[in-house]
Amino acid sequence: MKICIACGMPMKELSDFAGEDTSKDYCVHCARPDGSMQSFEERKTNMINFIIKTQGFDEKAATKIAENNMKKLPAWKEYFNIGD
Amino acid sequence: MKSKRQLQKENTKIKIFKTAYNIYSEYGFTATTAMIAKEAGVSHGTIFVHFSSVNELLTCLIESFGDNLALEIHDLAEKNDSIKKLLETHLNILSKHENFYIHLISEKSLIPEDVQMALVNIQSNFAFHFNRIIEREIQRHAVKSIPIHMIFNTWIGLIHYYLLNKDLFSPDEPLLKRYSSELIKTFLELIKD
Ligand SMILES: [Zn+2]
Repeated sequence: MKICIACGMPMKELSDFAGEDTSKDYCVHCARPDGSMQSFEERKTNMINFIIKTQGFDEKAATKIAENNMKKLPAWKEYFNIGD
Repeated sequence: MKSKRQLQKENTKIKIFKTAYNIYSEYGFTATTAMIAKEAGVSHGTIFVHFSSVNELLTCLIESFGDNLALEIHDLAEKNDSIKKLLETHLNILSKHENFYIHLISEKSLIPEDVQMALVNIQSNFAFHFNRIIEREIQRHAVKSIPIHMIFNTWIGLIHYYLLNKDLFSPDEPLLKRYSSELIKTFLELIKD
């Protein structure tokens, strides 16, 4: 089973894949309307907003959670290596 | 194929893991690695051959519990199931780990910060699927149009209140076994449109 490199979601169904294309390594939630993968900043903003929407956390706390999640994902690992 | 030595090493790791889970479930997170070593019948140093630090051991335990929950919830969400099924699955898994989970939420501040993140991730993952199902139900007017985070926090708040006061609600038997159906039924009634 493939796991989205940009958010960690398991991709099982065709509808889980970006553009329903199983050769893609990222999921439907991490794709832009044109099908390309969201940038680091876009993904981070989306994650933060999602956490606030679903759990109501403070923005600072939500940012910390989003960054902590992204740090572990193949697509964003390199963004965190500097100064680590 | 794995050598006998490798298998032995893996078995020891599993034994430490399981023992640690039991010790923390019983005594909470102030329990020491010395207690775990003694109970597992290994030397204290052996623990750190398999886990580089207490934090790593704790993170492993919490993440494994989280993976457990995430997997079952993901399968369920895919089947486009009802909120009732989602809540039942949630409590079912918490019920399997009731003592461990109670210590986790009541002693959160005792756990190192980076380990706390593992707990936060479990909640976020559940919130993701909760959101998916609740959003759908709001759209079809089966659930009241209340901000999703408030619906989510009301659920978590409700079950945590019961779990944190297990001594008052169910001192002698597992709490969720006793209250699950009442909690689910009441919550569904409250959010119904
Ligand atoms: Zn994704």
